[in-house]
Amino acid sequence: MTYPELVICEYCDSVWCRSELGDHEIARCGRCRAVLYRASRADIDQLLALTLAAAIVFVIANASPVIRIAVSGMHNEANLLQSIAALSHGSGLIVGLVAAATLFVVPLLQIVLLGWVLVFARARRRAPGFAFAMRWLHRIRPWSMTEVFLLGVLVAIVKLSGMLSVIAGPGAWATAILTVLITLIAQHDVRTLWEPLSARVAVELRE
Amino acid sequence: MSDEDVSAAAPPPLPPVSVVRRGRWSAGLIWLVPVVAALIGIGMVIHNWASEGPVIEISFITAEGLEAGKTQVKYKEVVIGLVDSIRLAGDNTHVVVRVNLSKDAAGFATADARYWVVRPRFGTSGVSGIGTLLSGAYIGADNGESHEVKKSFIGLERPPAVIHGSPGKRFTLLANDIGSLDIGSPVYYRRIQVGRLVSYELDRDGRQMHVDIFVDAPYDRFVTVSSRFWNASGVDLNLDAGGLKLNTQSLATVVAGGLAFATPPGPRDTAPAADNAQFTLFDDMQGAFAPPDGEPEYLQMRFEQSLRGLSVGAQVDFRGIVVGKVASVRLDYDVDKQAFPLIVGVVIYPQRFGRAGEKIAQLVPRGSDDDNARLAHLIEPMVARGLRAQARTGNLLTGQLYIALDFLPNATKIAFDPAARPVELPTTPGSFDRLQEQMTGIVEKIDKLPLEAIGRHLDSTIAQLDKALRQVNEATLPQFNATLAGAQGTLGSAQKAISTDAPLQQNLAQTLAEMQRAARSLRALTDYLGIHPESLLRGKPADPALRDAPEKDAKGNKP
Repeated sequence: MTYPELVICEYCDSVWCRSELGDHEIARCGRCRAVLYRASRADIDQLLALTLAAAIVFVIANASPVIRIAVSGMHNEANLLQSIAALSHGSGLIVGLVAAATLFVVPLLQIVLLGWVLVFARARRRAPGFAFAMRWLHRIRPWSMTEVFLLGVLVAIVKLSGMLSVIAGPGAWATAILTVLITLIAQHDVRTLWEPLSARVAVELRE
Repeated sequence: MSDEDVSAAAPPPLPPVSVVRRGRWSAGLIWLVPVVAALIGIGMVIHNWASEGPVIEISFITAEGLEAGKTQVKYKEVVIGLVDSIRLAGDNTHVVVRVNLSKDAAGFATADARYWVVRPRFGTSGVSGIGTLLSGAYIGADNGESHEVKKSFIGLERPPAVIHGSPGKRFTLLANDIGSLDIGSPVYYRRIQVGRLVSYELDRDGRQMHVDIFVDAPYDRFVTVSSRFWNASGVDLNLDAGGLKLNTQSLATVVAGGLAFATPPGPRDTAPAADNAQFTLFDDMQGAFAPPDGEPEYLQMRFEQSLRGLSVGAQVDFRGIVVGKVASVRLDYDVDKQAFPLIVGVVIYPQRFGRAGEKIAQLVPRGSDDDNARLAHLIEPMVARGLRAQARTGNLLTGQLYIALDFLPNATKIAFDPAARPVELPTTPGSFDRLQEQMTGIVEKIDKLPLEAIGRHLDSTIAQLDKALRQVNEATLPQFNATLAGAQGTLGSAQKAISTDAPLQQNLAQTLAEMQRAARSLRALTDYLGIHPESLLRGKPADPALRDAPEKDAKGNKP
């Protein structure tokens, strides 16, 4: 038996009765002021905007050079995919594969799946493969390691700057922004997507 | 579990959630994030697109040192493009390098732009491109003034000697051969380097080299219209009456070759030469400074004697002035005389005769077009006056010959054929040859002497002499001894006769005393006669008066 009209605060475990929200309204816990849920429309909008921004930044981060080194006239620069390809040569294949998975495939999946789900949710429809997408979004979330890569780049820049002249390329800045965006997206409680739909389904069933 | 608990105990009415209204702006504002991201992305794309210049293709023989995506294209050490890709040309003879030029380097995609690969080069003229040892090769670029767009270039295999727009002037030199010169060879003026050789190419008909040089400003103004250029390569060693002379420009030129120029001394036109002016490149400094020779005239000579030591290029000398050189020495066969005369062809530079040449040239009317006829006209009266060619010895040690032209007053008359082509100058055997001939004649005469007969006669004469001497020894000498003894006896008696106590001697002394007395009487007589000449007629007068007695006594006593 389900109680779709009830909501439990996940921080202080108090139970509250659900009430309809207008646009731009947030339901908060009466005891600990934690956000319980948001107006679904605004919530989806916000998440979709961030996802879209993340998608754009992701493209920039992968297309433009992350780091550029130069020493006495020789210079070299590489973007993320080029560095992964360089890693994959020879014995570094496994490292390259891991890097490709955590830095490229996982963030890409995150953005694509979330975008897919949100676009349909915004049109108040359930996306095809909604359950699959939601399951995988949840599963891959710990494997997104853009921030680790960013830290690695920063360490490399600091370490190399003693020997070579190192310039952080546009890709590094884009990666930094992407890290922020993906963190923002990931902290959003995607589970709330289930609720309005399920609620509506329940209403429809009830009728 | 909890669901069951809740359902089991009838749930009390629960408090509703507290609804908080958010600011209206925040929901709409969130869309700014993707918009800004998109704007940045679009901005980057536009920036990339805007900074993308023309794409050109350069072909090189080899792609050594070039790397796609890394090798830069530089003009004056400023990066103006990047190599995008390198591929082999269709026929595998060269490589095609695709270069993305930057937007502001669009001027390098014009018709007269030049591209070359800058690599470390070690040449005789120096070391270049050392910087590329570390940085890797790059493509050097140079653009011209053309605005005609061109996308495909043929890369130079070595850097051009002159970058477009360098201050200075370009000149063309006409040379017989390139010698040890090469692109980049230095050009010297008063032994400082003022320019370099830019390019050279052979004439279309292969007769001359066109050597392009570039002289940097400000030295380009020293190239005047009367400047002379010469090849300063190597060592110029001169051995003459002044001693041993060694002329070089610099040590580098000795090895690598070079050019030099100067304006000959004397009043000259010192107007700076125009850009792209043409000059002649002489083989050496002496040749460069020699007065111009003008058009040579061709003469032929016919020598009957051997010309060992006469080489092509030997001097032709007129009264000590070199007026030409031997152009050819050939053997001929005279059927009539069955002799092998030598035909020597010489070139004469009339301008070397100086004013004499000018004056003589004026004597002959310029009527005929045929140079040969004019020359024949000029020479005919001179031949009549004894102009002859001689092969003379220039160097007794080496036996080198030269051709001397001279007027020989006692030359035998020779018929001069003015119609002969080329004009033939009569010859006479050289002084050394004549000496040789005379010596030969003397030797021949000596050879003809009947030395054997003379020897035989001399032999018999000596035998007879021997016989005669023996006779003298045996017969004549003893008699001679006896004669000598007789003579000795005679001499002894003669000596006795003239000794002091000999009667002959005493008689002689008495006689002499008598004679002395006689002479004294004679003197008294003559004295008396001097005083009394009348006594000859009247006889001795009577004694004078008494007063004069002492005088008379004195006189009278005397005789």
